[in-house]
Amino acid sequence: MFEVFKNWEKQRHTYAKEWKKTTGGKVLGYFCTYVPEEILYAAGVLPVRILGSHEPTDLTEPHIFGGMFCPFSRDCLAQGLKGRYDYLDGIMIAQSCLHIRQAFTSWQKHIPLEFSYYLCMPNNVQSSRAEDYLAGEILEFKKAVEEWTGKEINEESLSQSIETYNHSRRLLHQVYSTRKQENPPLTGEEAMEMVISNQMTDKSEHNQALGDLVKNLEGRKLDRQTGTRLMLIGSENDDIPFIHMLESLNATVVIDEHCTGTRYFWNEVVTQNDLIKAISKRYIDRPPCPSKDWEVRRRIPHILSLAKEYQVSGAILIQQKFCDPHELDIPAIAKALETNGIRTLFLEFDVTVPIGQFKTRCEAFLEILQQEEELF
Amino acid sequence: MDKQFWRWKEYNWKEEKLNWKEARSITAGIDVGSVSSQAVILTAGKIFAYSSQRTGSDSPQSAQKAINWALEGTGMKLEDIQFIVGTGYGRVNIPFAQKAITEIACHARGANFMYGSSVRTILDMGGQDCKAIRCDERGKVVSFLMNDKCAAGTGRGMEVFADLLTIPIEEIGDLSFTVEQEPPPVSCTCVVFAKSEALRLLRQGWPKNKVVASYCSAMAHRVVTLLERVGVEKEFAITGGIGKNRGVVGRIEKELNVKALTPTWDTQIAGALGAALFAQALLEKTKSLN
Repeated sequence: MFEVFKNWEKQRHTYAKEWKKTTGGKVLGYFCTYVPEEILYAAGVLPVRILGSHEPTDLTEPHIFGGMFCPFSRDCLAQGLKGRYDYLDGIMIAQSCLHIRQAFTSWQKHIPLEFSYYLCMPNNVQSSRAEDYLAGEILEFKKAVEEWTGKEINEESLSQSIETYNHSRRLLHQVYSTRKQENPPLTGEEAMEMVISNQMTDKSEHNQALGDLVKNLEGRKLDRQTGTRLMLIGSENDDIPFIHMLESLNATVVIDEHCTGTRYFWNEVVTQNDLIKAISKRYIDRPPCPSKDWEVRRRIPHILSLAKEYQVSGAILIQQKFCDPHELDIPAIAKALETNGIRTLFLEFDVTVPIGQFKTRCEAFLEILQQEEELF
Repeated sequence: MDKQFWRWKEYNWKEEKLNWKEARSITAGIDVGSVSSQAVILTAGKIFAYSSQRTGSDSPQSAQKAINWALEGTGMKLEDIQFIVGTGYGRVNIPFAQKAITEIACHARGANFMYGSSVRTILDMGGQDCKAIRCDERGKVVSFLMNDKCAAGTGRGMEVFADLLTIPIEEIGDLSFTVEQEPPPVSCTCVVFAKSEALRLLRQGWPKNKVVASYCSAMAHRVVTLLERVGVEKEFAITGGIGKNRGVVGRIEKELNVKALTPTWDTQIAGALGAALFAQALLEKTKSLN
């Protein structure tokens, strides 16, 4: 029942090309989950998230500044330079970190497209002026999209788009909730494929598949032990071979807090008279990326409540190499988790993951959690 | 053939006084590491025999060689061993092991046996990685940190230096202390860079002892940062091949201002010893279930 998501995730480019052929619509690649996709979808645009491919990359060097550069951002740019996203009509980013922004601007420069947009998403989301500021930026963005597509985004189309996105978020929540069970009916790997495919397919089509999944998930029993319940925390993480390896060690990832997972879909747009303001509020209030989680660290109570709700005994903290925002947060997050009895393991990710070395670390970490009296 | 200066002593050992035939239990641990492999055989929880040799390109073969050599001259056969645990990089490729446990857990358990239950911090300086491990009084891992991105601060790095300077690897430690004044450390970020730097120093006329002192100091410096991140709690012990290099150990102690416990066994067998002890615990458990 997860085949459909897996195929979408694996065949993301084929999907987008076919979508384009069938609908005649435009496809836009976006670099960060702070992009208010609702606006694009209301204009009939398919937003697809640009992600890497985890292959060693050798062609970004002349196009990016500096060696100490986020491998994920590098990997994303490599996809563009390799022509894998040759079907895109536009690209955009909402301000988050400077590395992904540099990947965006390099793409803008080297792969010119008919539409490219930088949305000035405020970093200080905790400011009382952030919501109004972002609403103004979204309004400008809406105009730009209307001009680009020649389609007017009205109350009706925007309401529909918001509802489609909210419906998707509710369905994902429903699936995620089943992972609270003692023996979750899905693995972390399946959940990852589901939620990643959500970021690169037409939401209404994905919603249908999610609806079917919710119906079929009840009573599903996995032919495996749940083992140690784990949480994955950190930056972008779409590394399926890694989670596959982790779950082969008598463990199950039952919840995540990263931007290809819960941070992407966790909260809804709460509709109000002014839909632009409603969208703005959603992106200001969403579980923040560490580049926006200051002065108060709002992620920590959120992470702790997820860990408690999903009854995890260990958390794996993932950071893309050279990611300063996460690097700054991880010690505080680790301390908060450890104080609450949840053990942590820190891993630094690169474009390609050294699976053998990571396996030893993950196994040793799980041994700490699993080894009981039988060995001592 | 030129002398291979990197070659460390490969050997086997057995306790002549123990009569294995009367032992209540016979277990073994095999550590197939990236550079060296060891097999330790326990009889009733006591070290009966072991072997230590270089790892070949094939893990199952290296494991077989290690256990055969440990068994050599004992009269014991592989079938007499009741439970075998594998560890090290090659742990999943040991056909005759009933279970695989990570070298991190095994080194902590092995150090607990070798140095006693007061050990709380262990530095395992292996062939191609370093691990700083914190454990409890039973030798159970509490936390760990691993440096595995390059060979700096590891046994393989020391082998490269032994060859470069044409000094037998086992003499490096003592030689490093023959300098009048401690030189600054060479670049410690990469073995290849450290080697280039050492060549430059030799060309500048540095004597060999000064260059090895500089390298030992770099190695110590590198692992101390790892240890400080995990936090050093007494007692402190070192396992792995580099644990036998006085030049590195002495400098680590000096930087940390903590004395490492004196080993009574070859520090290189700690992983296999821990695996053998786990094998014994698992055997007891199997027996109690039957």
